[in-house]
Amino acid sequence: MIVVTGSLKRRMAAWLLVTVIGLGALLMIEAWVSSRQAADRAFDAQLEAAALSISEAVQWQDGRPEVVIPVSALQILATSSQERVFYAVLDSQERRLSSNWEVTIPQALRDSVRKAPLETALHTAYGELRVYGREVSAPGWVSQEPVQVWVGHTLGGRQTLALTLFKQAVSRFLAMVLLAGVLMALTIRVALMPLRRLRHQLRLREADDMRPLDAEVPKEMHELVQTLDQLFTRQREGREVLLRFTADASHQLKTPLAGLQTISELALRSSDPGQWRAALEEVHGSAERTSRLAGQLLSLARLRHLDDAPQRQRVELCGLMRDVALEWAGRDEANRHDLGLDTLPTQPLWVEAEAWALRELIGNVIDNALRYTPAGSSITLGLRREENEGCLTIRDDGPGVPEEQLERLCRPFERLGRQGTEGSGLGMAIVDSIARRLGGHLKVANLSPSGLVVELRLRLAEEEAS
Amino acid sequence: MRLLVVEDDSLISRSLTQALTSLGNTVETFSTYRTAKEAIHQGAFDLLLLDLGLPDGDGLGLLEEMRERGDSTPVLILTARDNLDDRVRGLDLGADDYLAKPFQLAELEARVRALLRRSQQRTENLLRLGPLMFDPATGAASLDGCALSLPHRERLLVESLLVHAGNIVPRETLESRLFGFGEVGSNALEVYVSRVRKRLKGSGLRIRTFRGLGYRLEEEQG
Amino acid sequence: MTALRISLAATVLLAIGLASTWLVVERPKGSVPPPSKLVIAAALDEAVVAPLLEAFGRAYPHIQFEYRDRSSLEVDRSVTEGNPPDVVISSAMPWQMAQVNAGLARRLDSEEILNWPEWAKWRDEVFGFTFEPIVMAYHLELSRHVLPPETHADLLELLDSRQNLLRGRVVTYSPFNSGIGYTLFQQDARYSSRFWDLVTSMGRVETEALENTQRMLEGIDSGRYWLGYNLLGSYALVYAQEHPNVIVQIPTDYSLVMMRMVFVHRDAPHPAAATTFVNFLLSEEGQGVLAGQTPMFSIRPGIKGPYTAARLLGQVGDRLYPIPINASLLAFVDPARREAFIEHWRQAFSGDREAVDERHE
Repeated sequence: MIVVTGSLKRRMAAWLLVTVIGLGALLMIEAWVSSRQAADRAFDAQLEAAALSISEAVQWQDGRPEVVIPVSALQILATSSQERVFYAVLDSQERRLSSNWEVTIPQALRDSVRKAPLETALHTAYGELRVYGREVSAPGWVSQEPVQVWVGHTLGGRQTLALTLFKQAVSRFLAMVLLAGVLMALTIRVALMPLRRLRHQLRLREADDMRPLDAEVPKEMHELVQTLDQLFTRQREGREVLLRFTADASHQLKTPLAGLQTISELALRSSDPGQWRAALEEVHGSAERTSRLAGQLLSLARLRHLDDAPQRQRVELCGLMRDVALEWAGRDEANRHDLGLDTLPTQPLWVEAEAWALRELIGNVIDNALRYTPAGSSITLGLRREENEGCLTIRDDGPGVPEEQLERLCRPFERLGRQGTEGSGLGMAIVDSIARRLGGHLKVANLSPSGLVVELRLRLAEEEAS
Repeated sequence: MRLLVVEDDSLISRSLTQALTSLGNTVETFSTYRTAKEAIHQGAFDLLLLDLGLPDGDGLGLLEEMRERGDSTPVLILTARDNLDDRVRGLDLGADDYLAKPFQLAELEARVRALLRRSQQRTENLLRLGPLMFDPATGAASLDGCALSLPHRERLLVESLLVHAGNIVPRETLESRLFGFGEVGSNALEVYVSRVRKRLKGSGLRIRTFRGLGYRLEEEQG
Repeated sequence: MTALRISLAATVLLAIGLASTWLVVERPKGSVPPPSKLVIAAALDEAVVAPLLEAFGRAYPHIQFEYRDRSSLEVDRSVTEGNPPDVVISSAMPWQMAQVNAGLARRLDSEEILNWPEWAKWRDEVFGFTFEPIVMAYHLELSRHVLPPETHADLLELLDSRQNLLRGRVVTYSPFNSGIGYTLFQQDARYSSRFWDLVTSMGRVETEALENTQRMLEGIDSGRYWLGYNLLGSYALVYAQEHPNVIVQIPTDYSLVMMRMVFVHRDAPHPAAATTFVNFLLSEEGQGVLAGQTPMFSIRPGIKGPYTAARLLGQVGDRLYPIPINASLLAFVDPARREAFIEHWRQAFSGDREAVDERHE
C-alpha cells in the first residue's frame, strides 16, 4: 500500500519551504553580522577622520603641545544620525589639553594606543560609546612630548545604519525567495505537465481499451508508463483467455444440446414406443452430462477468475482424506467401483489451505477415475509424508492415459482419446486450477502395468503444539 | 408419509411430486417463502424438501426459523449452489441432509427414504432395515420375524451398522464400539463381520466392505 | 475593496483615538491636575517674550510657571548647578549644544517634535524655535556721506577708506561677555579668511563692542553710532519700523541666522509640564504668537504672521545661513579654542599685525 497523502506540489513546496527557512535563517544571521560590521566600518572611519583632523591641529609651542579644536573635526562627526560627540586631547601627563569629556580613559587603553591607534567600545556615564584613540608625536626641533587624541560618539547611528542595511538585505532575500517561489511553481507546473497529459490520456481511454499507451514522457516516467503498459497487456491477455474460455464453454454446451435436439427430433418422428424409450434414455444421459458440464464450467471459471485471495486455514490431511473417501464411497456412482483408502499416517499432517478447495480437488480426481475406468476397477486414495511435504495420491488400475497426452491432460476441454466415455474434459483442468490456487505441485503419471496416478504435493505447515 | 416440497422451479417441483408420490407419500408443493412458511406453521409434515433460492427469500431463513421454534421435522436441502459454505451453514442450522442440483432421482429417493426411516425410527424406537429389526432398548434382534440370538459383540456390530444403515460406518467407530479403546488386532473386527455375514446370508441384506474405510449394511440390489 | 474600507475605518478610528489622546494630554481642561510650578530659565527678554508666556498661561491655566530672565552665560551655569530649571532657553547656541551633548537634555517624543524641521533640532532633545537673521544697521546720516555697505566686503572697504569719518561711530556685538556675539564672530571667521582684516579695521576705527542689540539700536537711532555690525535682525527690523533714522541692511553676500534653542532639563522637577511648554513653543499656537506678537521669526512652516522664517526666506532668499545645530558647534565652547579666538581677536583689534599674522595659519 503506497501512502502518499496530499499533493505532489504541496510536498515539493513544503520541502522547499523548509530549505528556504533553514537557509534563510543562516543568511539572516550573516546579513545581521555583516550589516553591523559595515555600519561599524563606516562610523569608525568617521571617528578616525575626526581624530586625524584634531591631530593635525596639535602644535608645539616651546616643546609644549597646544591645540585649537578644528570645527571641521566635529563637522565630520556631526552626522545625520546626530550622535553625541566627545573628544579629549591628553598630554603625556594625562592632563586634558582640550576636552568636552569628563571620562577617564582606562590606563590599559592609553597604553595600547601608544603602540597603535585603536577603536573600542567604552561604557561611560554618557552611555555606551565607540571611541577611537591615537597618539600624535610630530617631529619637532625641540624634544616633543606625545599627545593622545581620543574621540568618541554614541551608537545610535551605527544601530540605525545596521538596521537599514539589514532591512535591505532581508528585503533582497525576500524578493529573491518570492521570485524563486514563483519560478519554482512554474517549474513544478512545467515538470508535472507530462503527468497531467498522461492523466488526461488515461481519463479519455475507453474502459476496454487495452492498447499500450502512446505517450511521449520524460525518462523518469518511462517506468510508470511501461508498468501501465504491462498492466494493460496482462488485462488484455486475461480478457482474451476469458473470451476464449467463454467461446469454448459455449461450444461445449452447444454440442450435447445439439445432440439432444436431434435425438428428440428423431424420436418425435417415430411412433415406436421402443424407440421413444431408447431416445429418452439418451436424452436423460445427455442432460445429466450437460448439467455436470455446466457445473464444472462454473467452478473452473470461478477458480480461474476468483478475485479474493485464498482464505487459508490449518487443515489436517488425514481426517480430510478419510472424510472425502467416506463421502465418495457412499455415493451411488461409486457403487460399481472399489473405492478404498490406504493406511493413513499415524501422525496428523497439517497444511495451510482451503478445505473446500482440497475436497473439490480430490472429488474431481475421484469423479474422473470413476468415469474413465471400467466398472470393478479399484480406486485408492493414499497419503504419505515426504520430508516437509504432504503427498496425496489417487490411483486407479484403469487403462491410464497415452504418454503423449499426459501433458495436455490439465488443459480445459481436453478429453483426449476418451471421447466415448461420458465426461466434459474439465475435471482435470479444475484439479489443476485448484492445485495452483493451493500452491501445490500436481503430477499425473501412468502406472505399470496399467492405471493412472494423480499426485498432489502440499507444503506442510509449521509444526505447532496445537 | 406427508412431504412438503418448497421449490420455485415448476419442472423440478412436478418431477419431485411425481417421484415421491410413487413411493406412497402425500406431497404438497409451495413455490414461495411466504406460502411455505404458512404451511409449515399449520400442518405437521414428516419431511421438508427445501430449495434455498426462493424468489422472495432465502430458504435457510425458513430453516432457521423452524429450528428456533423447536420444529425438528427432518429437512433435506436442495440447491443449485454447490458452494461448500452454504452446505455447512445449512447443516449447522439443523438441516438433516443436503443435495446439490442437478441430482439423480434415484439418489434423491434414497436420501428421502433414509431420512423418513430415521424419522420413523425416532418415533418407533426400533432399528430396522428390510427383514432385520433391532430393539436398542432390549437388545433383541429379529430377522424375518424370527428372533436372532446374538452374542454380545455381534449384537453391538449389528446395532452400529443398523443405526447408520445405508451409510458407511467407519471401522474406527465399530472397533471402539466393539472393543473399547484397548489394543485390537487388525483382523479382530473382520472376524465378527464375517460371522454376522453368515447369519444374514439369504436374507437380502449384506455387509459391504470399503477398503480402509469401513463397512455398510445394505439391501442387495435386484 | 473590503480591505481598503477596513484600513480606512482603522485610520479614522486611529485618528479619533489620537485626537482624544491629544485632548486629554495636551488640553486637560476637563480635569484639573495638581498645580505645579514650572521653572523656565531663559536668556531672552521677558518683555519681548511676554505675549508668548501669556498665551501659554491661557492655554494651560493649571501650570504655574516662573520665568527667569538671565544672561546666556548665567543660564548656562544654572544647567549644571543644583536645583536645575525645567526648561532651558538660550541663544548661546554652542553652550546649549554642549549641555545637550553631555546628556543633560531629555529626549522628547510628540507629534510637534516629530514634525519639527530636521535642521532646527538635534536628537529630538534640543530645538531651535526662532529664526533671527544677523544684520547690519546704519543711521540715515551715513547714507548722506557714503554709499551704505551691502556686503561684508563693502563694510571692510568702507572702514578702511573712511577711517576718519567713522572713527568712534561703529558698534558691534562684544565677543567677550556675550555668547551670541562670540558665536557670530566664530561663525564669521569660518566663512571668510578676510574676517580678521575686518576685525583689524574695526579696531582702527575704535569700534565699540556692546552686549545687547537693543542698546546698539538705541545708539544708532540717537546718532551716537552711524553703523552697527552683527545685530539681531529680529529686533532691528521691528525697531526700524518705528525709528525711521535706523536703516536695516541684511548683508547681500551672506547673512547668518541665529536660533534660540530650548530643551527640557534631564533632571527637570516637572518633566510633564516642561514638555507641555516646549510642545507649546513648537505648536501652531505658540509659533503663531512668535510670528505675530514678538520680533522673533517663527520656524514652523505654515504659520501666518509678519515674522516668519518662510516670509524672510521669500524676501532674502538663499543668502541666509543658519548657524547649524549640530556637533560642530561644540568646537566653539572648547576653552582652548575660545581662549585662542579671544586672544586672536584682541590682537587683531589692537592692530598687532605681527601677532595676527602669526596666528593666521
